[in-house]
Amino acid sequence: MKVETFKYDNRIVRAFSIATIVWGIVGMCAGLLAAVQLFWPDANLNLAYTTFGRLRPLHTNAVIFAFVGNGMFAGIYYSLQRLCKARMLSDKLSWINFWGWNGIIVAAALTLPLGLTTSKEYAELEWPIDVAIALVWVAFTVNLLGTIIKRRERHMYVAIWFYIATAVTVAVLHIVNSLAIPAGLFKSYSIYAGVQDALVQWWYGHNAVAFFLTTPYLGLMYYYLPKAAGRPVFSYRLSIIHFWALIFLYIWAGPHHLLFTALPDWAQSLGMVFSIMLVAPSWGGMLNGLLTLRGAWDKVREDPMLKFMVVAVTAYGMATLEGPMLSIKNVNALSHYTDWTIAHVHTGALGWNGFLTFSMLYWLFPRLYNTRLWSNKLANYHFWIGLLGMMFYVVPMYWSGITQGLMWKEFTEEGFLQYPNFLETVLQLVPMYALRAVGGLLYISGVFLMAYNLFKTAKSGQFVPDVEAQAAPFRGQEEKASSGLHHWHRWLESKAVLFTILSVVAILIGGLVEIVPLYLIKENVPTISSVRPYTPLEVLGRDIYIREGCVGCHSQMIRPFRSETERYGEYSKAGEYLYDHPFLWGSKRTGPDLHRQGGKYPDAWHYNHMEDPRTTSPGSVMPRYPWLLTQELDTSSLPSRIRALRKVGVPYPDGFEDAEAMQDLEAQAAQVVANLKEGLIEAQPDREIIALIAYLQRLGTDIKGAVTNAPAATAQAQLNLGGNQP
Amino acid sequence: MIQNVLRSIGGVANFGVISICLFFLVFGGALVWACLLRKSHLKHMSRLPLEDGTVQSKGADCHE
Repeated sequence: MKVETFKYDNRIVRAFSIATIVWGIVGMCAGLLAAVQLFWPDANLNLAYTTFGRLRPLHTNAVIFAFVGNGMFAGIYYSLQRLCKARMLSDKLSWINFWGWNGIIVAAALTLPLGLTTSKEYAELEWPIDVAIALVWVAFTVNLLGTIIKRRERHMYVAIWFYIATAVTVAVLHIVNSLAIPAGLFKSYSIYAGVQDALVQWWYGHNAVAFFLTTPYLGLMYYYLPKAAGRPVFSYRLSIIHFWALIFLYIWAGPHHLLFTALPDWAQSLGMVFSIMLVAPSWGGMLNGLLTLRGAWDKVREDPMLKFMVVAVTAYGMATLEGPMLSIKNVNALSHYTDWTIAHVHTGALGWNGFLTFSMLYWLFPRLYNTRLWSNKLANYHFWIGLLGMMFYVVPMYWSGITQGLMWKEFTEEGFLQYPNFLETVLQLVPMYALRAVGGLLYISGVFLMAYNLFKTAKSGQFVPDVEAQAAPFRGQEEKASSGLHHWHRWLESKAVLFTILSVVAILIGGLVEIVPLYLIKENVPTISSVRPYTPLEVLGRDIYIREGCVGCHSQMIRPFRSETERYGEYSKAGEYLYDHPFLWGSKRTGPDLHRQGGKYPDAWHYNHMEDPRTTSPGSVMPRYPWLLTQELDTSSLPSRIRALRKVGVPYPDGFEDAEAMQDLEAQAAQVVANLKEGLIEAQPDREIIALIAYLQRLGTDIKGAVTNAPAATAQAQLNLGGNQP
Repeated sequence: MIQNVLRSIGGVANFGVISICLFFLVFGGALVWACLLRKSHLKHMSRLPLEDGTVQSKGADCHE
């Protein structure tokens, strides 16, 4: 049989590997600075750009898309070529992928500290960057599928299935969730509002975890673990079941992020059921990984790469058991909005993604540079310091989360809240926040050790840009006769395009079942006649709220529990968010919920609170926002914002933005200034704080005395939710 | 205790039906599919990462 000689491209793998290390350090340092601010608020350096609300999305985007993203590309570009026995389809596309992706990360690192954000979690980047992401992702997908199509190996190994699922699903998720109408170069409004926006966002958010942080890394696990262990995967059968069950089930589970919210009950239940079923394929995958090491545990003792891999796979198992448990409504009632969620995601991020990336890098560098790892000892130090850091991170967060959840729900014998002042619950957690930062510091120290070790490894070797390989061409290979289901399997896995289409069908079923009915069935989003669009001043105030990342610490969703209605007021209804583009329900309460904030305190209280939260709430860990008191309110973009909001469905009258909107804004600002004067505060009407106060005072006030126009079925569902009060 | 927990979840009666149907469709289907595959094919597939067609595995070999 004719054998072809060709070369694997190592340059692109090296570039992505170096980017992984650099962005990993940047992203984790941003996380550490954010963590320190939670017990020492002045660590924001008194700058808007480095304040928690803006830093948090920078941290999450940097570790997810920059660190894990580059790690994923490095791992895929190395393994795909070898599994396909072919060089990548196009070196040019590979480099467009590299420079495009890293250019996007630089754009994110510049815009997020500037407050240019959509506020939708893990999808914060504004529309021009979103367009760039879509284009770069297309380049990656074409390169991936093209390489698979021109491969020399007849069969597609299971890792490639995971790569295909990643490429197509991330494209679908990104495009659907990012649909927005621009109101300027770096400002847009989501086309979805309130409940619909929440469902689309968490369908995206959950599946970003699934298809960006999980499926590509499972592909990497199925390649690098057998490589390092020197033996094939424990059960290839199990890996087939793992793949199809996982991609089919994952996509349905998004609503578990919205339990007990104003999302219709049926959607919540669906999310919960599928989340629990997810344990099966996830654990199948974990066991398959660990059992691959059967008989090779002596290697684990010797090889730091395998140590990292074992902890990564174990962390995957822990996180994928805990996730479904947290999706059970009764558990979620306690855990949601608390640090428990933070502990959960960091088990996955630090353990699964972090350790698997480190493992892969320790394996790749000696091969890219044709040498040995410079120091096994240093890699072992990294392993132990990283593991210790992870423990110091997650254990205090579990402690903090459960403490927080229990304190929020604690009643006295007389039936009053035991801790009516939210701040009491925060102060209880401050030592845990400090310990968490210690954990983060340890973990990052380990990454610095790795960077040094890999740098020295590179210095001690000689980079191999191209690796020569030989294989028979695809068409030259003879296929043995087969029949029945086996025949179909072999046929399917040799057809890359058909396989891709089937993967898309599998992931679309869940998404469509959940999202389409919410648009088609009117009963799902009950309207409330008294709910009105925001006034022009409130629109600008809301945009400041979005810019400062307030949603990172404050929810706007009061769940139907007595412990919440006692603390905050009437529980939140779906119909209250009709004009919320985007929704701002939040996912974490470092501070209290703000949905019924309107009218709770006088304007002067908000003014003083924003200038220095410690003056109104001694011991508060909220940052100071003095710049809001001095920065002039930008009203020049008001007409374009009103126009964009009208396009997404907010019923502002035609021509409202021409003059009336500005008059309306000035009149309301004058009223806020007058209110402040009553509180002995002299303020100018054209400052940002005026708009923010107007927005905060509007929150949750629409339904006071209103009649809900809710259909009987929804009203019953809401009653059911009320019946679940823990 | 488990029964009490389950009863307090809204609409729990339908969960079982939905779960069982999907379990049989997805897991059952994938199981049957995987079980009917030939051993020789599975062996070949699982060894793919170990055979990358490289002409000379250089310094890396001494690491493994």
